[in-house]
Amino acid sequence: MATAQATGPPLASDSLLYDRSARTRWRIGFDKWIGRLLPLLFLVALFPIIDLMYFVTVRAAPILSIGNLTNTSPYANLNGNAVGLALIGTFYVMAISTALAVLLGLFGGIATAEFLSERSAGWIRMTANMLAGTPSVVVGYFGYFAFVVYFGWGYSMIAGALTLAFFMTPYTFRTVDLAYTSIPRPIREAALGSGAKPYQYILKIGTPIAFPQVLTGVFLAMAIGIGETAPIVLTTHTSLLVPQSIYSGVTFLTYLVYTGYNLPPGENGLAKAFQAAFLIMVIVIALNIVVRIIAARYRKRLEGLFQ
Amino acid sequence: MSAAIGSPSETVLATDHLTVLSKQKKLLDDVNLEFAPRSLTAVVGPSGCGKTTFVRSLNRMTELTPGLKVKGAVRYLGQNIYDPAVNPVLVRRRIGMVFQRPTVFPMSVFENAAFGLRLIHEQEDEIDRAVTESLQRSGLWDEVKTDLDRPALSLSGGQQQRLCIARALAVRPRVLLMDEPTSALDPAATQRVEATMERLKQDIVIVLVTHNVGQAARVSDRVAFLHTGRLVEVGPTGDILERPKDPLTEQFITGRFG
Repeated sequence: MATAQATGPPLASDSLLYDRSARTRWRIGFDKWIGRLLPLLFLVALFPIIDLMYFVTVRAAPILSIGNLTNTSPYANLNGNAVGLALIGTFYVMAISTALAVLLGLFGGIATAEFLSERSAGWIRMTANMLAGTPSVVVGYFGYFAFVVYFGWGYSMIAGALTLAFFMTPYTFRTVDLAYTSIPRPIREAALGSGAKPYQYILKIGTPIAFPQVLTGVFLAMAIGIGETAPIVLTTHTSLLVPQSIYSGVTFLTYLVYTGYNLPPGENGLAKAFQAAFLIMVIVIALNIVVRIIAARYRKRLEGLFQ
Repeated sequence: MSAAIGSPSETVLATDHLTVLSKQKKLLDDVNLEFAPRSLTAVVGPSGCGKTTFVRSLNRMTELTPGLKVKGAVRYLGQNIYDPAVNPVLVRRRIGMVFQRPTVFPMSVFENAAFGLRLIHEQEDEIDRAVTESLQRSGLWDEVKTDLDRPALSLSGGQQQRLCIARALAVRPRVLLMDEPTSALDPAATQRVEATMERLKQDIVIVLVTHNVGQAARVSDRVAFLHTGRLVEVGPTGDILERPKDPLTEQFITGRFG
């Protein structure tokens, strides 16, 4: 049997204040400076977004008014500063596309997480990831040729909403899939082991646990959708009338941002662009805050479950 | 056959040449074991011997692990639970299960205990009665009776495990499978769960998987020793622990491996 005794002096210094090895001293110093540098780098990373928010707010604030947001007259929306039509159009398009993305994402995600074989689930996940990675302008062209031209709906609310739903569904799908697959296996087995049918498990146990994550995914998909430009420019274009049906043309907020800079001075393009940019920013921030609040509220309720 | 169901002296559960295969190897190899009413059988053996696979195959939980193949039969009151006509959901309502870690659901104590009853759409008053009964049987009633609406996740680990036992008992199963139910608990909580097991075995069939020979000695009537998927030896607890016939069993219970 080998000896249990150490065969030489300790290899590290016994002084807890000073190490005799230059390399160790260098590492300790490096660690200290990196620790001071990282918060600075964080500020550098934060600067662009703060600058952007400041810039947009400063340019939008003098023009923005309740009157501009609610004014839907064609003249004010064309030549004036009004963005009321864009606000209405954005609301309708987002409502339809969110409903579609939630429906498709929920059913697709639950089916993938709970019912499909590993093999087909893998294929579906890969397809969803590819769809999420497709450049928005490509999705826009698809929407243009499919809905505007082939189905003959023209530039319309429904064409824009369907195209946007294409863009948002991968995000809702992925969060739903992840929410259900990340439920601890023992919880799932305990429910099924208590004699629950698969659908009973999903309704009674799975959904209450997955709900906050699903809701988070829906809000984030909305935040992504409301900022999309190319799919919208190519499918809804713009309109100076209050939409009457899903086939009416509408204006989306990002459309104003995209076209605002090169409109003739008489049309007040920049004024509308900055207001629209400000509104999008506020909506995205609001959606993110709501997500935070939901996550925090439910984290308490599920504490101790994900050990 | 239906006339025989539930007669008091009949074997409740029996395995008949039960073999479980994964893609790579045999997890269980030709296990034949019978479980009489009102008994507690401890299934012991070293890690990886197939004891968890064995207990999971007794109520078709093996089906939730992709790639496992079951051969042979498990008979519940004479009916083969692996018969293609048998619904696994109904099997699991008669043969309950408790897992290694407490698996309470994120809802109230009452709703946890009532989970299995709601699945079969019991009447409210019957649910109330059955929840009280199952919490009493699991030995948790005195600790939770003043506040059945508190979140189950706020209970201690040992209380959560007894709540899981109550949840399994609520539909009044004849068989309770317990897969190392105290391995995540401290000694005091373990003692409570063991006391619960001793009371329950007066009434139902318990199949207890444990890696703890001391626990088997304390609570079981009968010990089955599994090794590499084979049933090496089975017999009354005293005989197996004091006079094992097989040298493998002796090595295991004296702590030479496992």
